[in-house]
Amino acid sequence: MDSPSHDTPLAAANNIEPFFILPKAAAAAAAASSSSPPTTTTRTRRRIDVSPPSSPNPKSAKRPRNTEEEDEEEGDVALYERLRLEAFHRTWSKIQSTIDEVLRDINLKLFDQVLQWVHESFSAIRSVATPCPAEIQQPYPLLTDVICRKIPTAFVLTKNAEFVDDVTTFRDLTDHLESNGCHLAKLSATEFAAKHGVGGCLRSLLRQLLSDVPDVADVSALASWYCGVENYDQPMVIIIDDLEQCSGDVLGELVIMLSEWVVKLPMFFVMGIATTLDAPRKLLSSEALQRLDPCKLTLGSPSDRMNALVEAILVKPCAGFSISHEVAVFLRNYFFRHDGTITSFISALKLACSKHFSIEPLSFLCMGMLEEDSENFWRDKFDALPQAMQKSAFGLPSCTRENYSVKTDNVVEGLSELMKFQKDWSSVLLCLYEAGRHEKMQLLDIFCEVINPDMHTQRAPKSDLLMSKVTSENLSSGKSGAGRRFIDRALDTVRYMPTDKLLRVLDVWSTHLKGMNEITDKVKELQSTTISTDSVKITKDKWPRRSTHSSPNRVAPLNDKATMLLDDITRKVLVPVECLPFHEIICFKNVGVLQSALLGNPRRMVQLDLLKSQSCLKCSCCSKNRIAVSASLHDTSIMCNLAQEYGDVINVHDWYLSFDGITNSTHSKGKRRLLGSPSKKKSKAMPRQSESMIQARFCRAVTELQITGLLRMPSKRRPDLVQRIAFGP
Amino acid sequence: MASRGFHAVASSGSEDEEEEAGLSRSYFLAKEKEPSGKKRARAAAGKLSDLNIVDEQVLRASLAEIPPKHEKEVDALTKSYKDQYRNWLFELRCGFSLLMYGFGSKKLLLEDFASTTLTDFTVMVINGYLPSINLKQVMVTIAELFWEQTKLNRKHKSGTKSQPQSFASQSIDDIISFLNNQASEGDDHVCLLIHNIDGPALRDAESQQCLAQVSCCPQVHIVASVDHVNAPLLWDKKMVHTQFKWSWYHVPTFAPYKVEGVFYPLILASGGHAQTTKTALVVLQSLTPNAQSVFRVLAEYQLANEKEEGMPVSSLYTKCRERFLVSSQVTLNSHLTEFKDHDLVKIRKHSDGQDCLHIPLVSDALEKLLQELA
Repeated sequence: MDSPSHDTPLAAANNIEPFFILPKAAAAAAAASSSSPPTTTTRTRRRIDVSPPSSPNPKSAKRPRNTEEEDEEEGDVALYERLRLEAFHRTWSKIQSTIDEVLRDINLKLFDQVLQWVHESFSAIRSVATPCPAEIQQPYPLLTDVICRKIPTAFVLTKNAEFVDDVTTFRDLTDHLESNGCHLAKLSATEFAAKHGVGGCLRSLLRQLLSDVPDVADVSALASWYCGVENYDQPMVIIIDDLEQCSGDVLGELVIMLSEWVVKLPMFFVMGIATTLDAPRKLLSSEALQRLDPCKLTLGSPSDRMNALVEAILVKPCAGFSISHEVAVFLRNYFFRHDGTITSFISALKLACSKHFSIEPLSFLCMGMLEEDSENFWRDKFDALPQAMQKSAFGLPSCTRENYSVKTDNVVEGLSELMKFQKDWSSVLLCLYEAGRHEKMQLLDIFCEVINPDMHTQRAPKSDLLMSKVTSENLSSGKSGAGRRFIDRALDTVRYMPTDKLLRVLDVWSTHLKGMNEITDKVKELQSTTISTDSVKITKDKWPRRSTHSSPNRVAPLNDKATMLLDDITRKVLVPVECLPFHEIICFKNVGVLQSALLGNPRRMVQLDLLKSQSCLKCSCCSKNRIAVSASLHDTSIMCNLAQEYGDVINVHDWYLSFDGITNSTHSKGKRRLLGSPSKKKSKAMPRQSESMIQARFCRAVTELQITGLLRMPSKRRPDLVQRIAFGP
Repeated sequence: MASRGFHAVASSGSEDEEEEAGLSRSYFLAKEKEPSGKKRARAAAGKLSDLNIVDEQVLRASLAEIPPKHEKEVDALTKSYKDQYRNWLFELRCGFSLLMYGFGSKKLLLEDFASTTLTDFTVMVINGYLPSINLKQVMVTIAELFWEQTKLNRKHKSGTKSQPQSFASQSIDDIISFLNNQASEGDDHVCLLIHNIDGPALRDAESQQCLAQVSCCPQVHIVASVDHVNAPLLWDKKMVHTQFKWSWYHVPTFAPYKVEGVFYPLILASGGHAQTTKTALVVLQSLTPNAQSVFRVLAEYQLANEKEEGMPVSSLYTKCRERFLVSSQVTLNSHLTEFKDHDLVKIRKHSDGQDCLHIPLVSDALEKLLQELA
């Protein structure tokens, strides 16, 4: 690592250069030195990786093998890496387009409302006066009977505490309005900064509308642009997506300025409000408020959006990629406890997806799910796999469980089975959700419960783990575990559901279950029995009440049958993906990796690095003596350990003396350490180091603590004290 | 042996110990907050000036010669990250930015990663730890890089389009929109390797906004490192999830912060007043004997009247005239200007309204200075 080139004058000059282009020389030289011309860039990389012959790297231990063979292997690695990357891009773009579609569909109603409002406001303004281009460019106001100085403004309540989710919403709204013939400009809080004043946001406005922006930002430039034939007669909409973040003075000034022009230049505001409707009143002056003609619109709630998203991307795995129970629970907690924004949920999912394709060697087979002829794709790809990788497929934990004999068809079969199974699985899960949503259950909760493999082993006997036939004793024996909270609630909902609601639910079920003939027949049967609803009503009283629910409807045979059916198919079909062979290929399971990549925690980790440096460095000298701070520790680590003894301020003098004491091992603890430490260290520590060296080490350690932000330097007033900033990891 | 046994017992009861330690710490914290306790603590605690601090030059010389500790282990640790290079590259290609954190300088690690693994990219290294960094220049260079590349590409196809304006005269917004419009022709990817994206010069919201905007340009990838524990506070949700798209990696290297630490003052050098005394001495020795004597008058007054805010200019003039140090107010003023220019003297407003002079040194340091001046 310690490249010799680093200390050359060039490198030293680069270190104090604010920026520079990293020379590719190192890589090029390495490539040239290798005997054969590199076919791929990845191969060059590998060469460099294994170049130091004496390195303890496990890879270099393999060195004495045939180089040709190795080259081939490396070529394969590069090839499959490319395939996995391609698989990621295809999979994620499918998921991303699904997400975009879902969100757009959910917001479409609002978008149409906005569009309609724009058209209405436009005709209202035009009814006041229809100025001709020449009039618009006149410097003085129009002569009309009505004085119109109010800008029609739509306040869109987003109901999101966090603004980040609305970024996409407003972006889609922009696209929607633009495609429907409006001029669009989108301003955000950064443009409404008090620093830039009204000129800044006006310039940004002009930049978005005009092709070439004049040096002096001025509304009259806008007016002359608007008089162009292609621009005239279209409304202009200005979208401000986060009203609360804007500077009220600047926005007020802009409103007042534009309101003078509203008849000449039909401009409308759409403002996103995250809190409540009185936000504009708090923000704007009364004068500016009077110039607005408000209209209130509301966006769908985040939980609706979340349910729709989970349905589209997790329940119906649109691209084949799926997640394990642990990952799902992590994502759910991340959503509900972390910040509750859909954006962060999606970015977490994307990270999970990339980690999956990066870690799992066979993950590129996931791409087959997107192919038309999946089986052929898998067969081709699997046959082409090198022997070692084929073997690894059968070494997957889910296969070793099942004693699969090594055959290509098995993998292909297994994957096709997985794909088919996913379809049925999602249909049944949606039936369950259809029942549960009447109880305001969230799809994500049900999803997390359904994919829990422990729950499944609880509710079905082991032999039937991978089965598709369900027997009656299986039903009775598989008692619902304590954890089956949401499934049981959904079943209960069906049990006590009024008949008319139940009929609607059954209708939805039959659409969900299309393709699963056996079960659809049963649903149809149920529907046909209910046609004679009268008979239900008569028999209703004969059935004993099963619960103390105060609900007016009692359990009718229809409800019972529907519940039985749902229970039956739930047990039969809802096998968690983790219980199926080859699921590792499509299912991301490594929650630890995801968590550490998603939530870096420098505050904790940097302190842990310092306090437990011996475990990080895995050295033999420091860990022996666990009680005291040992002199062999990293200097900064010693200082950090010593700092733990102080409160929020540290006396530098005392701190230095204790550091000096430890490094020179003057006290008994140090001596004890010396007894047990290797002789090499001992000889190093024995002679008392010069004062200047100790001071230099002390200084460096303090600087390093300061760089990590754990310490603040002494102020002029208290030159002897430094301040600690972080307390305990 | 006996002592080992004792320690084994001690470590088994470590939980109790920890609790105890916490208790005692909060006790001392409380003690420190008490005004009376504080004074006592101050009196008991040693002062930085009590230490026998070596000369700054010697200190700096030793700093360069500090023997490395755990060289082997640090080396092994850094090498262990090499196995991850491919995964890092994979993630970079997936559209994420890499963010490295953990104790130790990551400069060498990242540059090694870039030069060995990012061979398909044009890598631009930005030394964020420098206080002098100018983001506008960086942006201009990135834009020029892309411009060169498109020019090369265009040459093969059709006539070149002339550059509208030099990038240096454009605003940052214009440059960003230029970068955003770079269609993905070919593999002209640029990777920005930002050492210390949390560096002192990049800590303001504007710089981070700018970097965030650059990070979402189609052809730009980012690999960055942070060292400050509060670095995540630099970004809001929008920047984290939609712009930077960080993928965090905990990669402690325990390598010394050689370059990163250069711009921090040494605590035992300029932090204490030993240094200020020294510089003051150097300045004073370069002045005329008369000027030195004027300073001495002022210093003696200050030492004699520690509680006062300073010495009124008029009384300094009288004193100096008495000792034949100055002949007129003009000469005194010229001396005073000299002192003020070198921060030897500060002017304060006295409570009765008149200006008075004050030497910004504590009494100990001032006494030492006078001794050495003599």
